[in-house]
This record gives sequence, structure tokens and C-alpha cells, in this order.
Amino acid sequence: MNRRIRVLMAKLGLDIHWRGVYLVSEFLKEAGMEVVYLGNSFPEQIVEAAIEEDADVVGLSTLSGNHMTLGPKVVKLLKEKGMGHVKVFMGGVMPPKDAVKLEAEHGIHKVYLPDTSMETIIEGIKSSMRDS
Amino acid sequence: MSTAKKEGGCLFSEAQLQQIEKDFQDWFNNSLRDSDRQTEGAYFSHSGIPIKLIHTPADIKHLDYTRDIGLSGQPPFLRGVYPNMYRGRPFTVRQLAGLGAPEDCNLRIKYLLDHGATGVNILFDLPTIRGYDSTDPEAEGNVGACGAAVDSIWDMDAYFADIDLGTISTSIVTHLPSTSIVIPGMYFAVAEQRGIPWKNLAGTCQNDFIMETCVGSAPEMLWPRASFRLQCDVIEWICKNIPRWNPISFNGYNLREAGTDAVGEVAIAISNAIATADELIRRGMRIDDFAPRMSFFWDLHNDFFEEIAKCRASRKVWYKIISERYGAQNKKSLLMRFHVQTAGVTLPATEPLNNIARSAIQGLAAVLGGCQSLHIDSYDEAYSAPTEEAALISIRTQQIIQAETGVCNTVDPLAGSYYIEYLTDEMAERIAAYIKKIEEMGGLVEAVESGWLHREISNYNTAYQKKIESGEMPIAGVNFMRAEEDRTHDIEVFEYPETYTRQKAKMKRLKKERNQQKVKMHLKILREKCHSDENLYPYALEAVKNLCTLGEIEELFREEFGLWNFQLL
Repeated sequence: MNRRIRVLMAKLGLDIHWRGVYLVSEFLKEAGMEVVYLGNSFPEQIVEAAIEEDADVVGLSTLSGNHMTLGPKVVKLLKEKGMGHVKVFMGGVMPPKDAVKLEAEHGIHKVYLPDTSMETIIEGIKSSMRDS
Repeated sequence: MSTAKKEGGCLFSEAQLQQIEKDFQDWFNNSLRDSDRQTEGAYFSHSGIPIKLIHTPADIKHLDYTRDIGLSGQPPFLRGVYPNMYRGRPFTVRQLAGLGAPEDCNLRIKYLLDHGATGVNILFDLPTIRGYDSTDPEAEGNVGACGAAVDSIWDMDAYFADIDLGTISTSIVTHLPSTSIVIPGMYFAVAEQRGIPWKNLAGTCQNDFIMETCVGSAPEMLWPRASFRLQCDVIEWICKNIPRWNPISFNGYNLREAGTDAVGEVAIAISNAIATADELIRRGMRIDDFAPRMSFFWDLHNDFFEEIAKCRASRKVWYKIISERYGAQNKKSLLMRFHVQTAGVTLPATEPLNNIARSAIQGLAAVLGGCQSLHIDSYDEAYSAPTEEAALISIRTQQIIQAETGVCNTVDPLAGSYYIEYLTDEMAERIAAYIKKIEEMGGLVEAVESGWLHREISNYNTAYQKKIESGEMPIAGVNFMRAEEDRTHDIEVFEYPETYTRQKAKMKRLKKERNQQKVKMHLKILREKCHSDENLYPYALEAVKNLCTLGEIEELFREEFGLWNFQLL
């Protein structure tokens, strides 16, 4: 199977900062991925859209402190809907210890904190596809 | 860009200029190395102004001192809005305060005031900013994060418990017009309850439709024209009722953080001021009724001299517009007064203590640019809203600039620098050209509804990020001289997980104790008035006084004005 990686990008909840999520979306497109940007949305809508778009990857962006409440919920709902194979990535501003916890305990595939290069994110997504 | 050079020039005589230009050519041809000559033309300021290896009087030969530069407190106000500037009154040390519940913020405000802050700047959590009650399902995960939750007048009362509203100056960071018509009203109503006359209240609310429609994204967003109408309602009503309150802060800051250069930042904010002035005049106000109360908000980024030039140029551009186009007579109308915040977007998470140095340099530029008040970002910007320790360092940084460096002893100390005057003149021309471009699109409201501003921001961001990725824009410790090991810190952030529970309990009590008949009646009146030409402020204020919640009022606006479904990608 050699289809393009399908990525669903979303801003989590009420977070207003769209600069990062827009940039990542643009760079992923440039790297040859198919990207759908959902805008601000809540876990239920994100999971619904992931099913509809047949996404391989869900990218969640948040800079406003809802990462621990809404992030894990997306992973949980995906599993419940039989979409456990979808890799969930997060990016944004949060305390590093929360990022560790999200990866270790809540099934987030990878959290990218500020200063991450676009190259790292692109590589991270590609290699997550190779692993599966 | 400055092709059409103006007549004038009293700085240097013709003969002197000829000698200066000749000396420069000789120096260029004989004193420089080939490599220097080859790279001439390859240096630009952040916003694209060409920078020479050395600047001379020849670069500003078209400037007339009296007409183009002048003295502080005199047209064109390039050098500062007041004659004595910081000798008369130091810039206000205005730090942000807001996290958790209003009761938590109250303690933080008292802490900042006790440590020398002279104004307060209150922040809200995202549900409040976007107009949802803490108990709304949309608010999940964001209650009390990044700012305080304010659902009703009760919360505003708690926010300012035991603080004399008659003596402080308060900046209420409401961002959106749709909440600026409600939240500052809570503040005014609390003052009224405490017997403080409205004429004693000093402060600012942000109230900018660009914030509502372009800078921040949101699940539900009002149409630009609806948001703009509310923006003008707020200004009109406050100008007539709260004489010392600045009813709008034209917000270049957040726009810059979202993605524009220094030229776009100032030009778009001034274009909003133009649209606003036109609308208020259409409503029958005179320019001098409201222009003295308009204030601006700039972002001081890394390009040190360009940022200083931006501050100076912005005053001149504003003066020309307000005097030539609107014929303002009141001297206060002519003054562009602005608050500055240093650029959060420049502060990385890697080696965060370095951000103390970055912010101090940006803060210094703000003071050299003649700001009226200042917020210096804290080093933990890329982790959370500032911790108490980080907030104190920011205050101390301001005090170091104010009291230790001596930069406040004389007005506009960089004036007369060939480079600074050249940059200032270039900035002023570029800002004016950008304003003209927006007018040619039919004005700012039209330009926004066409999607132009979103595209402008997006293009800028892509280019900016590519410069970081390629290393063209060096960031020490990040893409330049990066250390081998991981240098991010674990910062202990403030968390107020109990905020939600507290707000929920308070909301339950509020809904039980308030007079349901009155609530219904005032919401109904406000709903009906949305479809009239009347100013909505007094109706929103009555609703607030009768314990309607922020979320109830905002939901009504969303229903009556409809939602703008703008597709970003």
C-alpha cells in the first residue's frame, strides 16, 4: 500500500492560537501528506472527522492548558470507535512533565513542544507510519 | 520605497551634503574590502528596509527638522507625546495578572501592587475571552487556565475585593468587542455598587474586532461587521459615560504575534482606527469626542532599531491622519499613546532563562520608543502564564530600565542618529502605503471579510518559519549554537484544578438567587435591540446588573448576529 499519509489537524477546544497548527499543516502538505484542517473542535467532533476522513494521523494543537483534559479523551474515543490504529500527535505549549505523561500514560504517540523543527515533526509522522 | 523625496532640509547645507556624499563614495571605494562592497545591498531590517553598512546625513537629507522631527509634545509628535516624557511621569509598569478563579487573581493583583506595579492588567481564561460560562460544555478543559474565569458580576466583585477602584488604573484584557460590551460593564457596575463615581475610573479595555475575527481562531465566531458594530457601540457609550476610560486598544500586538511584520502591525491597527472614526462620525460624534480616548498596543520584537523606529513613526503617521484628514482640534486627539508588550513569540522553551535577556532588550527598545506603559514578558512564556517568581523578574527588569540605566533622563535619546531617523522615515512611509492599500480594498472591515488578512498572516508565518528552519533567522541556543543536551526546563506552573468546581458552585447559587423574571426580561430586550440601530451597551449593562451571565449574553449575540464560517485551509 503506497497511499499518501492522511492527517487530520485540529485545534483543541477553545484555544485561539492558530499560527502553529496552520504552519504544521502547510509543512506537512509540502512534505506530500494529505491534510485536512478541522479548525477548533472538541474530541467527539475530531473522532467523527477522523473516521470520515479515514485519517492515519490526528494532530492536536493546544497552547491554552486543555491538553490534559481533552487530549487523552481523543485517544480514548478513537479506541472506542475501533480507530485505535490512528496515531495521535500533539503540539503546543505545556509543561514538559505533562508531555511525558501524555506519551507514557495516555496513548499520545508524540508531543512536540516549542522549538521543534518542522523536519522533526514530518519525520516523526513518517516513522510512526513505518512502525505500524 | 522613499522615492518621492520631499523638499526641505535644514539639517545640512548643500555644500556640506556634497562633501559628505563625496567622502562617503571615497570611503566606500577605498576603505572597504571587496567582500564588504559585495555584501552591501544584502542587509535588511525584519520588515525589509535596506540597511547600509554605515548611514550618513545623506540618508536623511530630505528631512526638515522642524517639520519632520521637531520637539516632544509638538507636531508631528515623532519624539514623544508629552514635552517632558518620563521626567514628568515614568512609564506605567503594567504586568498581567490572571489565573484560576477571581479570588486567586485578587491575591496576585495585591502582590503586584505591593511590589511597585502601578497599573493592573487583568487576564481571563479562554471561555471568558470567547464568551462561554465556566459551566458550558465548550469550556471543558480551559476553566481557569491562562487567565481567570469571570461568569458574572459576582466574579468581578471578587476579582477586585479590597482594592480601591477609584485609585488604580485597570486594563481589562477582553480582546473581543462582543465581550467588551459585557465584562467592563461588570467593572463599572461594581464601582457603582461601591459608591465610586464613574468619573474616577481609569483604565482600558481591548475591544478589537480584528482580535475577534482574525487573530484568534474559535469554534464560533461573529461576522466581522457585527463585531465591528459592537466595537463602535462600546467606544461610543464609554466615551459618553466613563470619561477617563480608554474604550479601545487598537491591538497591533496580538496581530503581530499571530503573524505580521512591524509595518503591518501598525498599519492594520491604524486602519481599524480609521474605520472606527468614520463610523462614529457617521453616528454623529465629533472626532474630538472620542479620539482623545483611543489608544494603541504594540509588540516589541527582536529587531531593536526597527522597533524603536516603528514606535516613533507610528506617532507621526497617526498625527498626520488625525489632523489632516479629520481636522482634530483637541491636542489630546493628536497623540498616539500606546502600551507595549514584549514579543512572546520570540521566547523559546529551550534554555528559558535566556528569555530574561531577550525581554530586557525588547523592553529597553519600548522605552527608547517612548511607550506610555509596558509589560515585559516572563521567561517562562513558552511554558505557561507567568509564575510569581517570573512575574517579579519582569517587574524588576522594568525597574532596572527605569531607575538604573538613566535612559529616562532625556527625551527620545536616539533622535538624530542617521540610522534611526532613516528607519523612522522609511517606516512611516511604508505604514502609510499599507494603510492606503487597505483603503483601496474598501477599508478594513471589507478586507477582513474577503479573507485577505488571513492570507496575509498565513503567508507571513510560512516565510518566517522557513527562515527559522533554514537558520537565516538565528535564535541563540535553538537553531544557533545549540547545546548538545536537552536544555528545556521543567517549570512548576500554577494550576488551579479546583476553579471549575468553585465556578460551578457559584453559578448554581447565582441562578438560584437571581430574579428570573428580570433576567428573562433584560435578555429579551437586548435580543430585540440587536436588530435596531441603537447602541447595545446600556442594555447589556442592565442585563449584567441583573445577574445575567456572560455566556447568556454572548449566546444571544451568536444567535442574533449569526456565525462567520471562515475556512482557513
